[in-house]
Amino acid sequence: MSTKSSVLFEMKNIHKTYAGNHVHANKGVNLSVNKGEIHAIVGENGAGKTTLMKILCGLEHSDEGEIRFNGEPVMIHSAHDADRLEIGMVHQHFCLFDGFNVADNVVLAKEPTRRSLFYDKDAAVRDVEALGAKYNLSVDPRASIASLSVGEKQRVEILRILYRGSKLLVLDEPTALLTEQEIKDFFVTLRQLITLGYTIIIITHKLDEVLDISDRVTVMRSGEVVDCCVTSDCTKQGIARMMVGKEVLLQVDKPEVEPGKPVLKLEKLSLTVPGYNHPLLNEISLLIREGEILGLAGVAGNGLDDLENVLTGMNSKGEVSGDVLFHGENITNAHPSKLRDMGMAYVPADRLERGTSAELHLSDNVILVEHHSMVRAGLLHAKGILDFVKQRILNYNIRGRRTTPVGHLSGGNIQRVVLSREFSRDPKLLVISEPTWGLDIVSSEFVYQKIIEMRSHRSAILLISANLDEVLALSDRIAVIYRGEIVGMFKNRNLDRESLGEYMLGLKRQSTEEILDGAEA
Amino acid sequence: MNALDIPAITSTVVIMTPFLLAAIGGAFSAISGLLNIALEGLMLNAAFFAIVFTNLTGSLFLGILGAIVTTLLLTALFATVSFKFKANIFICGLATNFLAIALSIVLANAFYGVTGSIQFPGMPRLVPINIPILENIPILGNILSGHNAIVYVSWLLLVVAAVVINRTPFGMRLRAVGINEKAATAIGINAKRIQFTALLISGFTCALGGAVLSLTLGAFVPNVTSGRGWIALVIVYLGRMKPLGILIGSVVFGFVDYISNNLQATSNIPSGLLLSLPFFATVAALTLYSIIEMTMSKRGLLKK
Repeated sequence: MSTKSSVLFEMKNIHKTYAGNHVHANKGVNLSVNKGEIHAIVGENGAGKTTLMKILCGLEHSDEGEIRFNGEPVMIHSAHDADRLEIGMVHQHFCLFDGFNVADNVVLAKEPTRRSLFYDKDAAVRDVEALGAKYNLSVDPRASIASLSVGEKQRVEILRILYRGSKLLVLDEPTALLTEQEIKDFFVTLRQLITLGYTIIIITHKLDEVLDISDRVTVMRSGEVVDCCVTSDCTKQGIARMMVGKEVLLQVDKPEVEPGKPVLKLEKLSLTVPGYNHPLLNEISLLIREGEILGLAGVAGNGLDDLENVLTGMNSKGEVSGDVLFHGENITNAHPSKLRDMGMAYVPADRLERGTSAELHLSDNVILVEHHSMVRAGLLHAKGILDFVKQRILNYNIRGRRTTPVGHLSGGNIQRVVLSREFSRDPKLLVISEPTWGLDIVSSEFVYQKIIEMRSHRSAILLISANLDEVLALSDRIAVIYRGEIVGMFKNRNLDRESLGEYMLGLKRQSTEEILDGAEA
Repeated sequence: MNALDIPAITSTVVIMTPFLLAAIGGAFSAISGLLNIALEGLMLNAAFFAIVFTNLTGSLFLGILGAIVTTLLLTALFATVSFKFKANIFICGLATNFLAIALSIVLANAFYGVTGSIQFPGMPRLVPINIPILENIPILGNILSGHNAIVYVSWLLLVVAAVVINRTPFGMRLRAVGINEKAATAIGINAKRIQFTALLISGFTCALGGAVLSLTLGAFVPNVTSGRGWIALVIVYLGRMKPLGILIGSVVFGFVDYISNNLQATSNIPSGLLLSLPFFATVAALTLYSIIEMTMSKRGLLKK
């Protein structure tokens, strides 16, 4: 282990319980990070990694515990305090401001001034340009934030903390939205920063990356540190076991199902919105049959959510052209209630805003679309509802009482509530978007298992997901969408992440014939 | 009738000033992401205390200063209840408006034993100031000269506001907080302090707006603001929180308000219709403004 003198900071016995939902996010956590290392913190969603780092950066306050920086006890009450200790954090959700250009974003809150009164725009551009050149993080300082790719946005975030003079960089899920190539470039940057004397903490749950980039790794599970070890002594399976406490199944077992009649057919479906110079959806043609999962893969911002909205009657922007045929009936722009009556079920990406009603009880959420059939003499039939809900709680292994407001449940349990409602109606067509976003491995596996069950029940399933592993594990066929266009149609055989990634990035595209063949296959 | 005669110009400037002042302050809170619906109450409060303090001290300057101090106190109360005690800002704003009305009635009764208008014989009023040389230029002279001191201050404030919002670190942080308060906090900006300051700025400009109303009149009349704070709020949003948009909104409203007042005396058009004219004209003008601005920014993008 490291020598005493090289420890940069220590967090000791950190406790944190969130007042709102009583989640005990950190239960006596100890963490020690050395100067000049890349320290990975891994753990499932909800393991307490982000909370711990927010405490370090002054954005959350611990109930108990102590932080020592260079051996000295310190109190970090705000982002400002963290700044003085030269700690900088790049959040999972970027803190960038549309309407400002790159340079403005980098210098914000530490702006260079002229005559100590006016913001010096030119100095900001110069500084950011110089900084970018020095660290090999080139972004046009005058570009608007909206015009940047995710990778570039991340560079802006990193430039910001470097500009502020941070020596300790805390990166929360930095690779979540990056493409394969962007991740490679990003890691080159990190290694270079280490040679310049920086210390880096990287929060992730991608184990390959941990092995690739980190010097040491701290594993967290349900608010506690399981272990801290030197990365070169670890194996992927070893870390995974520590993370979840059991073997991880990366493979989903799919029984053979012979696809049947066509259920959903899209013909040249387009969505144009004024103000955009290209259609958000561009002549999309697809076919999904009974007992088949079609995976729609793409990088966020390329039309995944637009297609989700158009198909489920939730589209509120722009003009839709082309046809959506459901069992041969044209349902373009149909109201969600009609779609439900026809047998469509919908598991939305945003399960708290759109999938459930957060203040309503678990029980009410489960019967939300079924309550018409539970009326007796004009009133809701309490006994019938009780039996129905109990059954769902049992089948879907929902951990929560019937009277708990859904907003108080964990992400995994909220998703089980949604599935129990949507899957129980024997749907002909399922539109599922980002079903495991933010869920831990156990909950994700459960979701996968249920989706596969629906496939065996001969539902036609459209799986919209930016998670490539998920698309590869579940789909029978895969469509790749880039800038609103289908750029590749594949049978899910011998496909790998990297080559699909090239289509997702728009580096490659199939010919129109190949795509149309694939669409009908 | 010649619409652009000399009284038209002068009257327009006089009418628009309270709108302009309240809208400048309203823009600061709007940019910081707060809907400050208390502009009306803050102006009313200032209109009242301007008279009280001018009468008390015999000085217009101290009267205006008194209006500013009391209105800032009321704003601070409003902001504290909303931020520190986490009350809904909309409800707090509403309460501030009611409080201002009630305060003026109660205090007028307590100080002077009156319930209606308050007027003191011999109390100084705001008077027009002519600017040498400028006043001799035709038309332009009428626009730029012959107004009271607060009118000139309002123009200065508009320029200062434009500079502060667009050219200073405070303005940048103000805009950043308005775009995304959480993100601003995460990068070390004290968002609550910025918003508090923005509210105080609206308190300050509303104080001048209220003072100019009662001190030109030389009296405090109950409900002297008569909805000007609300119109100012509309001007802020229709003017897209930009100083130029706010200026256009205030000028158009002031001008059409003058015309409708004039037509009431000289024509047979129903007065209800005439009274609504300024509102229609302001909406139309600011819609046009935002269309032009959007087209320009789109062209700007294409050029790139």
